[in-house]
Amino acid sequence: MILNHVSKTYFVRNQHLPVMQDFSLQMNPGSITAFVGPSGCGKTTLLRLIGGLEEPDSGTIEKTEAEQGAFSYLFQEPRLLPWHSVVANVELVLLPWFSNKGERIARAMEFLDMVGLREFTKFKPDQLSGGMRQRVSIARAFAYPGRIMLLDEPFQSLDTHLRWSLVESFLSLWEADRRTTVYVTHDLSEALLMADLVVRLTDRPMHTISLHPITTPRESRSLADPEFVELQRTFYT
Amino acid sequence: MNRSTWITRALTALSVLILLGIWQVGAELIGSGVLLPHPNTTLSALYSLLQQKPFSLNVLATVGRALRSFLIIFTIGGALGILAGYTKSIHAMLVPVLVICKATPVMSVILLAFIWFSSGTVPLFSAFLMGFPVMFVQVEQGVRQISPRLREMTEAYGFSPLMRLTHLVIPSLVPSIITGAKASLSMVWKVVIAAEVLTVPRYGVGSRMQLAQVHLDTAEVLAWTLIAVALTAIGDLVFIGVLRFPKFIRQRKLHHQAGGAA
Repeated sequence: MILNHVSKTYFVRNQHLPVMQDFSLQMNPGSITAFVGPSGCGKTTLLRLIGGLEEPDSGTIEKTEAEQGAFSYLFQEPRLLPWHSVVANVELVLLPWFSNKGERIARAMEFLDMVGLREFTKFKPDQLSGGMRQRVSIARAFAYPGRIMLLDEPFQSLDTHLRWSLVESFLSLWEADRRTTVYVTHDLSEALLMADLVVRLTDRPMHTISLHPITTPRESRSLADPEFVELQRTFYT
Repeated sequence: MNRSTWITRALTALSVLILLGIWQVGAELIGSGVLLPHPNTTLSALYSLLQQKPFSLNVLATVGRALRSFLIIFTIGGALGILAGYTKSIHAMLVPVLVICKATPVMSVILLAFIWFSSGTVPLFSAFLMGFPVMFVQVEQGVRQISPRLREMTEAYGFSPLMRLTHLVIPSLVPSIITGAKASLSMVWKVVIAAEVLTVPRYGVGSRMQLAQVHLDTAEVLAWTLIAVALTAIGDLVFIGVLRFPKFIRQRKLHHQAGGAA
């Protein structure tokens, strides 16, 4: 996917609010790109533009053939329908794709099983813990046949231990089906463990400060790695 | 049941007894059946009403009018409420209608309606004008309170308009629909009976009340009033029953599944 000189300005309370100006970047198909920047720097706008929920004012977003079409979105919060059971929440997003209900349920169950929620499929979202709800939304995102994955700080609201276990769940599903993933966060350590490319951003209007390709295989990465320690030191100074 | 609920119930019963006592003592002191009949005179008037042939006709006529008005209010108020919640222009156009409906005294509506319509239609029309704003406002506010985050999720996951209506809008509106329906239902009974009193259609609880009043048969007026109160109470109970029904069916289904698995 290539972002070509993308600009986007919002018009809020009679004021122009430039969010992106002439932003360009190339992301490899089937890779994870993490955008790390301060809160409110326009990361969510970037995701909405890539997903096609909004149009850029100028510039283009070119996608490979495999990246065109629907996308899966992981929000900061799980955003499950509270009146539906866990399995119905996943099954429902498959409705436009699979006409056979049995097929939809089987696919929903398969992905819920992969995030360790086999026993909880009949529960309502409010009967689950916050971490379990976010697992349901991960299962929903992977069960949905989106060609790209858009992640808007989905692990942010959880405590450290839960966060790493969700990151692991996410990566194990992703390894089995490598869709191009665009991931925004303000947490560098998550980005370092997950991404193939870390993009450091400025405040609004968004510009790239630096690009950090990471070649170490994910399974052997550690935050104690001297390269990562050095990166974290430069990021926050 | 715990101790405090028992005490509450005992106090409620005591309060009813005290009211009956005041009624009885008042009737003794006044000593006139026209001004205030004895409770037992009223009960025997009620008993003889229940035995008369046109009793069921009168009650059914009133129940029919109340239910028809309620269904019209429910459908039109609900549908317009959803539309107005989503469309600012529809909201703007309905504002004057609502202001008029809310500010006009019930009696003016009934008197004007009696000039325009036959006596059987007046209760329906008046009840609609009085109950519609209640249902409408609840549903419209409900639409405004639908979670924007869930809406965005349905947008991202490509829900069709129909899927959005059935899986997001209507389930989100259930609490507002219930509140609106409950409030408009209890209003409908009062307006329908008031309209019947003023327009005296051939059958109706209100018509009988009016006739009894003309004959200075106060015991019968009170007896019909008791019937009106009972109708409202039964209406509320049926309403609660209808609300519990889906849960009951679900529990039975779960029960069956559990039984099947064992």
